[in-house]
Amino acid sequence: MIAPPLVLVSLVVWGTLVGLDLVSVAQTMIARPFVAGGIAGVLLGDPMAGLRAGVLLELFALDVLPVGAARYPDYGPATIAATVVLAGSPWELSLGLAGTVGLLVSVLGGWSLQQLRRLNAEAVQRHTAALAAGDSDAIRRLQYAGILRDAIRSALLTAIGIAGAWAAQRWLTLDRRTAVALTLVVVGAGLAAAVGGALRSAGRGRRRNWLAAGLVVGAAVAAFR
Amino acid sequence: MNGTGRALLRLFAVQGTWNYERMLGVGFGYGAEPLLQDLKTADPVRHSEAVVRSAEFFNCNPNLAGLAVGATVRAEYDAAPGTQIARLRTALCSPLGALGDQLFWAGLLPALVGLALIVVVLGGGLWGIIGFLVAYNVVHVWTATWSLRTGLATGMGVGAAIGSSWIPRAIPRVGVAAGFAVGLAAPIVAGWYLGPFGRLSVVAVLLVAVLGLASGRLFGPRMTGSRFALVAVLLTLLCRLVLR
Repeated sequence: MIAPPLVLVSLVVWGTLVGLDLVSVAQTMIARPFVAGGIAGVLLGDPMAGLRAGVLLELFALDVLPVGAARYPDYGPATIAATVVLAGSPWELSLGLAGTVGLLVSVLGGWSLQQLRRLNAEAVQRHTAALAAGDSDAIRRLQYAGILRDAIRSALLTAIGIAGAWAAQRWLTLDRRTAVALTLVVVGAGLAAAVGGALRSAGRGRRRNWLAAGLVVGAAVAAFR
Repeated sequence: MNGTGRALLRLFAVQGTWNYERMLGVGFGYGAEPLLQDLKTADPVRHSEAVVRSAEFFNCNPNLAGLAVGATVRAEYDAAPGTQIARLRTALCSPLGALGDQLFWAGLLPALVGLALIVVVLGGGLWGIIGFLVAYNVVHVWTATWSLRTGLATGMGVGAAIGSSWIPRAIPRVGVAAGFAVGLAAPIVAGWYLGPFGRLSVVAVLLVAVLGLASGRLFGPRMTGSRFALVAVLLTLLCRLVLR
């Protein structure tokens, strides 16, 4: 599905906001995949597609603990790309491809964050003398330039992700069995990521017992639905 | 001292220039700037020194950065020696990082995400998203406000204020809630996706999940969830190509 230009522009604007929210500005959590995907789905006229793509990539995002100087993928713009793949097509056959596109874009997003941090460091080095002199204007300029760089990064990443999603949709035609197999593989891998992340955070204490209890109750709810 | 409101707003962009050189340092200076304005007229030399100190290396969880910003600004107004203020900044990095990461990234966030995913897949749809954003941001904004106010009120005594605050008590509680919520959400989300595929798909998905967990154990932190997924997708495509 090729979205109208206005929708594409709104997706890039949304991706820019989502990319900024991840680290640079606000951290209101609109960068969480299920939020980014849900709104992208609304913009594309298919909210369920956004939720399907968003919840899937959220499982992977639960594996990430963004502590200190950790390197991590950028799942926000990636979810928008995955939603573009999924919108308007049967999710059972497209979720595998959408998830794969989303994961690839998230890896590219993680790489782009490293480049952004290097560029910020170079800018700080260029202003060392002004910072050592206590120049408040230099601090403000550095801050606004850093946020602008991240906005450009996020917009570019979203645009590349949408282009990749469109190309994958157009040129990658999978037979039914392969498409279903890919869907099951990404769902299984997502579950492993979410539970693996929860196990790491839980350690060996009381929290692990509560995780186990949650899994048992959740399995019972899923079985009886 | 004025500019508390502006400083609070700026703290929401404290990571705007995050880099490997000074990490949060420049963002810290950006947040502290409105609070240091009064010092400019009272003692311009001290103000200049304070601005230099404010933008030096610093890192912590962004949600608790207000504690450090407030405390160091208060110490500047109290005319504490510069070396003591620098030591305070250094001393606050690790505890504010560890406490904030446990409270937010490993506690509140996964707990609310887990609950929101359940609401979404049980038919709540976009209401799950709205509820999540409201709940998270009420805590987020309240914590930022509390942090800055507590830092400004306690100055060099901020360490004791943190130790006796609600944060150390809240961490184990939200940790338990996070464990339970993510555990509860995982099978319910899986059921949502597997509904149309039949029982054999459950076995296939469980097999992939177990392989994913095992590969994480085997290869360590380098085998992230997304890397395992991409390897598994590649292998599936190769298998399908060979079997065709």
